[in-house]
Amino acid sequence: MGSWVEVASLEELARRKRKLVVVGTQQIGLFLIGGTVYAVSDVCVHKQRSLTKGTVLNGQIICPGHQWAFDPQTGRAADREECQPTYDVRIEQGAVFVNPSPRALTSEER
Amino acid sequence: MTESVIIVGAGQTAAVAARTLRRRGLGGRITVVGEEAVRPYQRPPLSKDYLSGREGEDGLWLLTEDWCDRNEVGLRLGAHVRKVHRGSRSVELADGTLLEADALLVATGTRPRRLPGVEGERVRYLRTLADANRLGADLRPGAHVLVIGAGFIGAEVASTARELGASVTVLERADHPLGHVLGRRMGEVCAALQREHGVDLRTGETVEKYMETADAAVVTTTAGRAIEADVVVIAVGVVPNVEPLIGSGVELNNGVVVDEHCRTGVAGVFAAGDVARHYHPLFERHLRVEHFDNANGQGMAAAKNILGERIAYTAPHWFWSDQFGRNLQHVGHGHGCDEIVVRGQADSFDFTAFYLHNGVLRAAFAVDRGGDIAVARQMISARAMPDPAGLRDENVDLADLSAATH
Repeated sequence: MGSWVEVASLEELARRKRKLVVVGTQQIGLFLIGGTVYAVSDVCVHKQRSLTKGTVLNGQIICPGHQWAFDPQTGRAADREECQPTYDVRIEQGAVFVNPSPRALTSEER
Repeated sequence: MTESVIIVGAGQTAAVAARTLRRRGLGGRITVVGEEAVRPYQRPPLSKDYLSGREGEDGLWLLTEDWCDRNEVGLRLGAHVRKVHRGSRSVELADGTLLEADALLVATGTRPRRLPGVEGERVRYLRTLADANRLGADLRPGAHVLVIGAGFIGAEVASTARELGASVTVLERADHPLGHVLGRRMGEVCAALQREHGVDLRTGETVEKYMETADAAVVTTTAGRAIEADVVVIAVGVVPNVEPLIGSGVELNNGVVVDEHCRTGVAGVFAAGDVARHYHPLFERHLRVEHFDNANGQGMAAAKNILGERIAYTAPHWFWSDQFGRNLQHVGHGHGCDEIVVRGQADSFDFTAFYLHNGVLRAAFAVDRGGDIAVARQMISARAMPDPAGLRDENVDLADLSAATH
């Protein structure tokens, strides 16, 4: 499935902390949180607002629309059933790559 | 030990409380008594995407039949609670049925305030799904809609009506909208937003006289103007549904008075949501709040307290409004604040206003900046004293500023 796509430089993420990238038809939000780069679908599962227009607080991604809080690793919404798709990220020589096939959650993450 | 619970009311608070009670292990009977004949549903879309027709009914339902069956939650719909018996947890329905339980949660909500003398075929209110269905049919291209009251419901109805091609006039008694929540300056911003989208907003003006002819409603305003409309929407606030509790021994004062644990003065009787005038430790006063998030959070807190946990409801109140293509959000309680710091451009509806009292952040109001609200909420909870220059400076990361004030 899906091949890795270069989407950003680590340097610009270090500066802006988050970035919206488009891979094929998917809008993916990149977030630099505590030194790790995470990739989640930018389109909120709740009301389709853009997560990169939100904020990061206490390690969670906060949607600007209705303040839903997502775990950047699993995409899981706090206190809710819903889950935001997430993507694998790879860093190579200062470049950020994502695998545009949404990850399946591991058994511990479910 | 609490085994069985009756929830009076079947809105957001009731639904969340029922779910929380079951999830956290209540073993006995849960009965939800609702006055409306339809199953519990969410109200926020009724003035927005449901009213405009962009969303259907499917996304509204709160306690599905399947969920209730699996969790043994009994719904008694179309049932009016006549009274709560004095000093007890037993309620009497209009048909004479007596229900009893170990705990009672009052979540009866509110109903629209009526305007005396304004009655007729063309008068509309918006609270229930049935109200939304009726009003939705009136909002069509070319119709003239007159809205009385420029608060959040009035503004959202005006916005949806404009979106559907109707012409809209709004009368607001005060000289700017939403002053009691946002203050004059931000109230003026909301007025500008309405006017920019073609709403004929008239402040300092309200209904003097109402009549209907064969083909129009005719409102004579306090400024002596006569306005004809196809339909008149009254959106002048709500009144709490406390009537079943009169004589019950529960203290009533602009709602059901409860402490920070959602408890009334009567053992085993709790209240939450729009109807509850709750003591809020952060703002050190009793507040009654008519918003979704409060209904949600307080419903959850009430359920935990019913189960014997001592969970104070302390979250700063938060709400949003979608109108005229913008997302408005407010958090906290800005009453009595002495300084407002604006980050961004209020004129172009892209900003956050921070409300400070003696340097302590108490509230924030944002247009299209929900991210700032998340950070503000955290700072308000912490009674933070953020540097006003940092709040104003767009180059300062708010999350960093928040971390620095802790």
